[in-house]
Amino acid sequence: MIKIEHLSVAFDGPEVVRDVSFTIGDGEILGVVGESGSGKSVTALTLMGLVSESAHVTSGKIYYDDQLLLEAGKPRDNALYREYQGPKMSMVFQEPMTSLNPTMKVGAQVEEMLLLHDRKCLGESIASAPKQNEIQTQKGQLADAEGVKMEEAKTRYAVGFTGWREERKKEKARRKNRVLEALRGVGLREAERVYDCYPHQLSGGMRQRVMIAMAVILHPGLIVADEPTTALDVTVQNQIIELLKKINQEQKNSLLFITHDLNLARRLCDRILVMQDGLIVESGHTEDIFNDPKGEYTKKLISAVPGRTGKRKSPHEKIRPLVEVRDLSVFYRENANSLFGKTVKKCVVHHADFTVYEGEILGLVGESGCGKTSLSKAILGLNKMTEGSVTHHSNSPQMVFQDPYSSLNPMKTVGWLLQEPLRAQGILDPSKAMSEKDREAAAHDMLRKVGMSEKYFTRRPSQLSGGQRQRISIGQALITRPGLVIADEPVSALDVTIQAQILELIRSLQEELKTSFLFISHDINVIYQVSDRIMVMKDGKILEIGETEEVFQHPKDPYTKELLR
Amino acid sequence: MKYLVKKIVTLIMTLFLVSVLAFLAFQIIPGDVVTSILGTEATPEREEALRKELGLDQPPVVRYVRWAGNVLKGDFGESYRYSKNMNQMMPVAELIGDKLPVTLLLAALSMLIIIVIAIPLGVFWARSKSKILDVSLNMGTQTAMAIPSFFLGVLVTYLFGFVLKWFAPGSYVSFRDDLWGCIRYLIFPAISVAIPKIAMTARFLRNSMLTERSSDYVRTAFSKGASERRVSYVHVLRNAMMPVVTFLGMIIAEIVAGSIVVEQVFSLPGIGKLLISSISTRDFPVVEILILYITFVVIFVYFLVDILYRVIDPRISSK
Repeated sequence: MIKIEHLSVAFDGPEVVRDVSFTIGDGEILGVVGESGSGKSVTALTLMGLVSESAHVTSGKIYYDDQLLLEAGKPRDNALYREYQGPKMSMVFQEPMTSLNPTMKVGAQVEEMLLLHDRKCLGESIASAPKQNEIQTQKGQLADAEGVKMEEAKTRYAVGFTGWREERKKEKARRKNRVLEALRGVGLREAERVYDCYPHQLSGGMRQRVMIAMAVILHPGLIVADEPTTALDVTVQNQIIELLKKINQEQKNSLLFITHDLNLARRLCDRILVMQDGLIVESGHTEDIFNDPKGEYTKKLISAVPGRTGKRKSPHEKIRPLVEVRDLSVFYRENANSLFGKTVKKCVVHHADFTVYEGEILGLVGESGCGKTSLSKAILGLNKMTEGSVTHHSNSPQMVFQDPYSSLNPMKTVGWLLQEPLRAQGILDPSKAMSEKDREAAAHDMLRKVGMSEKYFTRRPSQLSGGQRQRISIGQALITRPGLVIADEPVSALDVTIQAQILELIRSLQEELKTSFLFISHDINVIYQVSDRIMVMKDGKILEIGETEEVFQHPKDPYTKELLR
Repeated sequence: MKYLVKKIVTLIMTLFLVSVLAFLAFQIIPGDVVTSILGTEATPEREEALRKELGLDQPPVVRYVRWAGNVLKGDFGESYRYSKNMNQMMPVAELIGDKLPVTLLLAALSMLIIIVIAIPLGVFWARSKSKILDVSLNMGTQTAMAIPSFFLGVLVTYLFGFVLKWFAPGSYVSFRDDLWGCIRYLIFPAISVAIPKIAMTARFLRNSMLTERSSDYVRTAFSKGASERRVSYVHVLRNAMMPVVTFLGMIIAEIVAGSIVVEQVFSLPGIGKLLISSISTRDFPVVEILILYITFVVIFVYFLVDILYRVIDPRISSK
């Protein structure tokens, strides 16, 4: 149905998509897999006619049912594209949080699809107006001929006009019904309420459902889904995938599914394309690719995916407790944003009770908003509004944050950044103060330990890749030789292959330095790979805590079971 | 409702604080109203008598409390300098009541001109793809922003008054005598007030729209097959207006507080002119009330902006 021939796209510079050709058959689910910067999103946006105007299609053609949509060297025909965008192909984007207009009601946004395209629906109402009038006029003439007064003919004409207005009202109600139907179709039970909501009143998963409702309401032949689940929690992710599958089965539309997550692609897609640096490096049926990958890159990608079969950290004996958390509740203040408003204390962690032992990695898994970060901040002492106790049996813990792009000061060099915790330690506790020379030596040593060469010492964070930055963050956390490092989603902003490297680094450093880690992640597979023990958290409560193998084999809590699915 | 009560309480507290500060400022700055009225040649007895008459012999706290009590009763006191007739001083309320409508009318007209011109101009600018247009609008607005307002006033007077002869400079008629004639005259000072603000608002709106253009929801709208025009007006404009509304609020507050220079150039009997002369003659009762008025206007306008904001952005009221 879709045919792309030798497509290349460039933004003022090198081509980001190179000689990409593929077809999508009727009702087929095609997965495009690749890491960030592989050109998969640009390909999809070019297909949809949404790529920005600074992008040039340097070669290739795009066909939709034998209709030429786009050809290199010719300007994009926006009018033609508008005929296709919506009724024939639609798109679901990655970020449900920002992909809906914040100042427009959700119902109106879905309805816009109908307003823009449903000529049939609109046409009927417009066409019906003169028809009705004609009938009335005819009747009027008839009445005239029969000798009835003109007055009555006029009222009848007026009746015709109100009839037309009624018709429009009905049309409006019908449109609303179609929107409600579509909302229900994507599993939004309270469709009436959602219809009148603004996007910010809905959760991420609900917003993504609204986006999907919008994409399917006109029953297009092709739906392009660009990382539709990446920004969502695991359990919601599963639901959205099931929904896309169901829609595909019911409506027989084709689906172009773009993702960095091989497991997801495997669950959903019939065929898979693997992209790297703008090139298609491998394509084939899903199971063929997974069972017998041909390309080096594909092999690397598949082996990098955290699974439950890969090698695990060697188990560790629980000997001495390092941090004891006893009946800890964490609160935060909800400011009423005014002089007189009451500040409300909200409990985000309820009675957490656990121990981190020396030299172990304790995995903490849970969805966004479950209190993982609040708990870790309380252990660090960054949050003072707590009840219960946290006892540390070593020096102060350090932290590795999720976003390596914003957690390093962009004005400083790597060397300076690595020394900063030592400087701070020296100020806090003069007995531990180190000379300039010792600090530098320690920083060089740490740089080597996190697997980076000497030359990076004088570079700034902006000159490093995401993975390298995360290495620096880890180095910063370890340089003071803390007993405990809290790593808050340290790999979730990274590509799979980089993620595998960082996990490997954490494992080896942990073996070498015998530091304990509290490793926080939403990805249960990542947790499985690195942790000795697992702690499952939901809505501020710790549901389950135990040896990794034990929890994976015999989960006790229904929520854990769902996570493990 | 709770929101309204909160706002009103904040308003009252701010007014009280500002009145105290203004009162204190008058105690500190050098210069004496008595010398200013009688001149330096007056005898000490005469000075003493006037001081007593104005109540200036009392300690500051007593004076403030007395003044504040009177204001609360609605008695704004009498001017030290302006006299109504031979044996009576001008009550402040009357004095300001005379000038206030001129300034308010001028402000309303200016605001109307700003909104009617700046918003379409900003949208047009953001949507235009022509390089030449962009450069010329950029230069034009920059010039309009840079011209000092007295010079702009002179230019407007010259252009509309002498070249085009659309109005006679200096022929201001009081709104009490001829409202329509007054408005016709006020249009030209209003244009002088509006020109730099139009430039600023249009630039601001353009930038805001261009920023919004790169948002994700705009891409979603395009993916539905919406036309460029529809995306600009239905989706982008409302979101882009949010920062502009705050900016317009700041402008309103500024204009309503008195466009001092423009009032001078067009010899309008407005608040701005009164404020300057009262400060230089230490006419304390007038200044104090004017400061309260300006404070009130600023807070009130921000209150309106706040409400408008809630109308435009549904996210705010639910927080």
